[in-house]
Amino acid sequence: MAYVATRGGERAIEQAERLFRAEMGEITEARVAEIKAAMPYLIDRVMGEASLYDEDLAALALAQTGGELFEAVLVLRAWRTTQPRLQVADPITQDALFTHRRISAAFKDIPGGQVLGPTLDYSHRILATDVLNGFPFKPAEVEPAAQPAPAYQPSVAAWQADNDLVDLPPIDDTAPEDIPDVTREPLLFPAKRAHTLQSLARAETGGALALGYAAMRGYGQAHPTVNELRLAEADIMVRHPNGTAFSAGRVKVSQAEVVSKKGEKLELGFAATLGWNEVKCISAATLDLNSAGAEKGSATEEEFFIYHTEGVESSGFCIHFKLPHYVTFQSSLDAMRDAKAKAASRKEPAE
Amino acid sequence: METPHSSHLSILARSGAEAIKPFAETLIPLLGDVEVLKSQTGLVMLPMRDTAQGTAFHLGEALVSEAHITCGDIEGYGMRRGRDLEAAMAMALIDAALQSGIASAECQAFLDAQQRTQAAEDHARLCQVEATRVDMETF
Repeated sequence: MAYVATRGGERAIEQAERLFRAEMGEITEARVAEIKAAMPYLIDRVMGEASLYDEDLAALALAQTGGELFEAVLVLRAWRTTQPRLQVADPITQDALFTHRRISAAFKDIPGGQVLGPTLDYSHRILATDVLNGFPFKPAEVEPAAQPAPAYQPSVAAWQADNDLVDLPPIDDTAPEDIPDVTREPLLFPAKRAHTLQSLARAETGGALALGYAAMRGYGQAHPTVNELRLAEADIMVRHPNGTAFSAGRVKVSQAEVVSKKGEKLELGFAATLGWNEVKCISAATLDLNSAGAEKGSATEEEFFIYHTEGVESSGFCIHFKLPHYVTFQSSLDAMRDAKAKAASRKEPAE
Repeated sequence: METPHSSHLSILARSGAEAIKPFAETLIPLLGDVEVLKSQTGLVMLPMRDTAQGTAFHLGEALVSEAHITCGDIEGYGMRRGRDLEAAMAMALIDAALQSGIASAECQAFLDAQQRTQAAEDHARLCQVEATRVDMETF
């Protein structure tokens, strides 16, 4: 076994990158602005997986990678490392979320009511092909209510606790600077819950869905019901040098609570992410709900789902198989030929 | 408990760049010597509290622009989401003016106008959201 250093291919590599970028052509500020305006849910998905909230940068990453999502997330995560961390904000709490959508599939009459917000859940999925024939699609305008919805909605779980259906957890008063952070410390198992939830927050959406769906279909311990789903905006609460707390702006967040119906009280699973991404949150909350006591190597076991939903690592490992493996492959071929020769010699009839 | 200073800073952080920059420009001649301590982009980590087990965890980071200045003994500070360093500096200048009592009436009028704009945006959005409320009927 040996490593062989080779040369050559620089020109091919340079031209290959040019060929990739040629398909996208010139990237302008206007194109980035158009992507940002036209695809907010894609922007949200990329920001959540990149663990970096900035719509302009996410739109730029999409423009630069031609919408290759793994590359877009990778380039954002790489850029993130060039920036200093200036502060850790005050923790976001559910009762301080400026809420745009909040529903429960478990209870019809939740305090605050069912507010659908922006969704296609109940819409016909019909492709507007007329657009391709020169007829623009102009969506009908919302007919606003005379009175506004409450900006802040109560917690469904708190109401359930009042009805002795769930036990509310004790408040974790860890100082923001001391909260465990998977981007700055190793991920060890059994994982700290803070690491698990942070990993799920930055998980690749398709990965979280695949494993969460496995649990939903029966390869888990509990079937989820959505206890509460929220799409909201959260204030970034930072500090002035004199200590005054203030909001540096809002970010979109989504969170899901799912519930199992085992035992005397309801058990909750939870997940949240930056941006509005319901599928990821419901899937990830389902994994959280099912993780306690999950069998090693099963889809709902935390080591399994944390590692396998990490999009940058998993896609990176996948695409590394495209890189030259000439020596290792040749070595395997030699071993195969050797085994074949030995087998052939054993089959030769005795004289 | 939100203090007036906290409220002012939150309004300034949410104000549109097209409004805050020209207003801050009018304050520069009044502020005297300004020393810039920081003018940079960076990240703010956002923790969140989980509702199932109460655990505080990191949701992810937001890109912000930060400006930190001094005018004599006064520290002006700006931090806003996004990568607009000029807007963050404008926020710091207005903060310094407010704390120094410079152009107080103009600053207060600017804040009031911005607050009205922001409240109107929230009101309009929440009226749209309210339109999606489900009126449950039991048969």
